[in-house]
Amino acid sequence: MRLVVVFALGACGGNVASGELQGAVVDAPGPKPSFTLTDTAGEPYRFAAETEDKLTLLYFGYLNCPDICPVHLAQIAEVFDRLPDVARDAAVVFVSVDPGRDSPEEIRRFLDNFDSRFVGLTGTPSELDEAQKAAGVTPAVVGGEGDDYTVDHAGWVIAYSPDGEYRVNYPFGTRQSEWANDLQILATMDGS
Amino acid sequence: MAGLVVSACASDAGEIVITDARLGRPTGPNAALYLTAANDGPSDRLLGVETDLAAAVEIHETVTETDGTMAMRALTSLELAEGDTLVLEPGGLHLMLVDVARLEVGDTVAVTLVWEKAGPLPIQADVVDPSDTLGDDG
Repeated sequence: MRLVVVFALGACGGNVASGELQGAVVDAPGPKPSFTLTDTAGEPYRFAAETEDKLTLLYFGYLNCPDICPVHLAQIAEVFDRLPDVARDAAVVFVSVDPGRDSPEEIRRFLDNFDSRFVGLTGTPSELDEAQKAAGVTPAVVGGEGDDYTVDHAGWVIAYSPDGEYRVNYPFGTRQSEWANDLQILATMDGS
Repeated sequence: MAGLVVSACASDAGEIVITDARLGRPTGPNAALYLTAANDGPSDRLLGVETDLAAAVEIHETVTETDGTMAMRALTSLELAEGDTLVLEPGGLHLMLVDVARLEVGDTVAVTLVWEKAGPLPIQADVVDPSDTLGDDG
């Protein structure tokens, strides 16, 4: 008979790591991509270099998105509040895939709703396509017509451990207890 | 902090009862309103939403494609069959308030759901942090 061990997390999603990653662990870990985009101060942001040695969360979204993007970012911000030691050595990078509407200033204002440490990036359509391909996601495409268009984009958050390896994808609906569990585990994957 | 959203009272139009009405605090131009609509009456159809807080309200469905891409699609109406319950929740159905007013967590907003048979149904929704729109443990 197989022994089944059940790890019980706290009822309120306590800060106890279970030892196992709860997100979608990638089959083939690879190095962090090295694309360059533009940050909200208008400066070039070399993704791999700027986030070196940091637990890094990468997400592609857009500001007119009411449903998926704010929930992902708010979930991470809540967990960062609970895990200040993890948050201090982590980078959250939000890439707007709607360069037609999202200005650097608006991206900054949007991210400050969640956590002023979150990095916001933009670029030309071709730079953004390249960055998404480098990160292994299908490039976003515009749906609908006119100014009130929507943007179809990857729905998950990509996590890289501090040693620079692509480790886990977090689908929409990932709970704070799962984030808290996994960020604590990923933070220890520093190659030491 | 994980939030539990409990409506103080349910709105009742004929036999459509609305609970858990909640609006994610606007962080950009648009915001999503979620709710549960239970129908004890005849089949009906949600045609639209009226509010002074937004330039327009659109009925949306978020769909996840096979490659993990998430896409938001506009619907012209939502069916609510007799005895059925419609659950509008993150990652599924929502009502998108376009160019929404600035609102803060703790505010209460008034919107009117327009049903084909039941007619206008005024409801109140609580403004919550986007992380609290998920319900349960967040």
